[in-house]
Amino acid sequence: MISMVQERRSPARREKLGVQSRDVRDCSKGTLKRELQRAGPEAGVPRSTLARERAAAARAALADCRLCAHECGVNRLAGEAGLCHAGAEAHIFMAQTEVSDELELIPTFAIALSGCDLRCDFCITGGPSWNPRAGEPVRLEILAGQARAALADGARTIMILGGEPTIHLPAALEIVAALPDDAKLVWKTNAHGSAQARALLDGMFDIWLADFKFGNDACAQRLAKVPDYVRVVRENLLWANEHSELIVRHLLMPGHVECCWQPVAEWLASSLPAVKVNLRSGFWPAWHSARHSDLRRTVSNSESAQAWRIARNCGLNLVE
Amino acid sequence: MKPDANDKPAAGKHPLTSDLLLLPDGRILVHNLTPAFAGLLKELNPDDEQIRLRSLPSTEHPT
Repeated sequence: MISMVQERRSPARREKLGVQSRDVRDCSKGTLKRELQRAGPEAGVPRSTLARERAAAARAALADCRLCAHECGVNRLAGEAGLCHAGAEAHIFMAQTEVSDELELIPTFAIALSGCDLRCDFCITGGPSWNPRAGEPVRLEILAGQARAALADGARTIMILGGEPTIHLPAALEIVAALPDDAKLVWKTNAHGSAQARALLDGMFDIWLADFKFGNDACAQRLAKVPDYVRVVRENLLWANEHSELIVRHLLMPGHVECCWQPVAEWLASSLPAVKVNLRSGFWPAWHSARHSDLRRTVSNSESAQAWRIARNCGLNLVE
Repeated sequence: MKPDANDKPAAGKHPLTSDLLLLPDGRILVHNLTPAFAGLLKELNPDDEQIRLRSLPSTEHPT
């Protein structure tokens, strides 16, 4: 048995949005600025044009960085670092065509940005995810050429991920601006972004592929050093479901079926009953997993069976 | 397999990366599966449905 470890808005959904108007804080001046009073794609403005405008707004926002829910408020343009340690420029640690994601998304050309705002000790890409300077600086022309080649070669989607791409929203939006307007784009996220980030992302990606890792704040704090996790993720998922297609992933962890998966499954069943859910049981004890006695092994067959029973009992819309 | 994720080049010509973990019970866990590696795993275990679905030509991937 072989298991996958991890990990566009349709025209109809875009049309539903209508004209968008968003308040975006101009952090460099400390004033509210109506930055994005532009018609959406349905009014004939190409996504790439909108992305270019929003990338500029996102870059300005780095002066008082509140892109993720930590809302550190540091000036990344001046070299200050928040909890993610990221600077103003993004690095890429991987860009290649992959087939390990959801079947409806593959083949996908995956672009992985270094750095993350969470500190999951079990991170499968811990090295580059915890080091925002890993890899190479983003070179838009090369990257866009690779993406176009992948699409021509049969890639169905282009996926921007991390680490966590939210902390590099300026670069992510610059990448979107360099991609074909008709490419199907996937935003692979930990769903720990801020309201500001969501406003900048609105209409940019066709599909949000979002993790819901922990079912309670205690596990989130202990294993990923993140407070107030459940509320933030729920908020992001509800928003994403309204503004794009959404697929929610849960990576089943050993010993966390009842404390994490069960509450996640029950909340999804009650709050997002039709949403696509991918339950992944291929946990592997990577990175700093050995720091936690519960994470020093893979998921047992009985745990996996229990998790699937919960999913079925909740009536979840499961996808592979 | 990757030498060191911190050193991986990201643009231009560079090696593709897949990671796999072979478990004592015979399970194989895969991360960053490339089409080429999926093809290899299919050769090793043609009956595995997960890999079969992921090693199809791009035009035949299920929706």
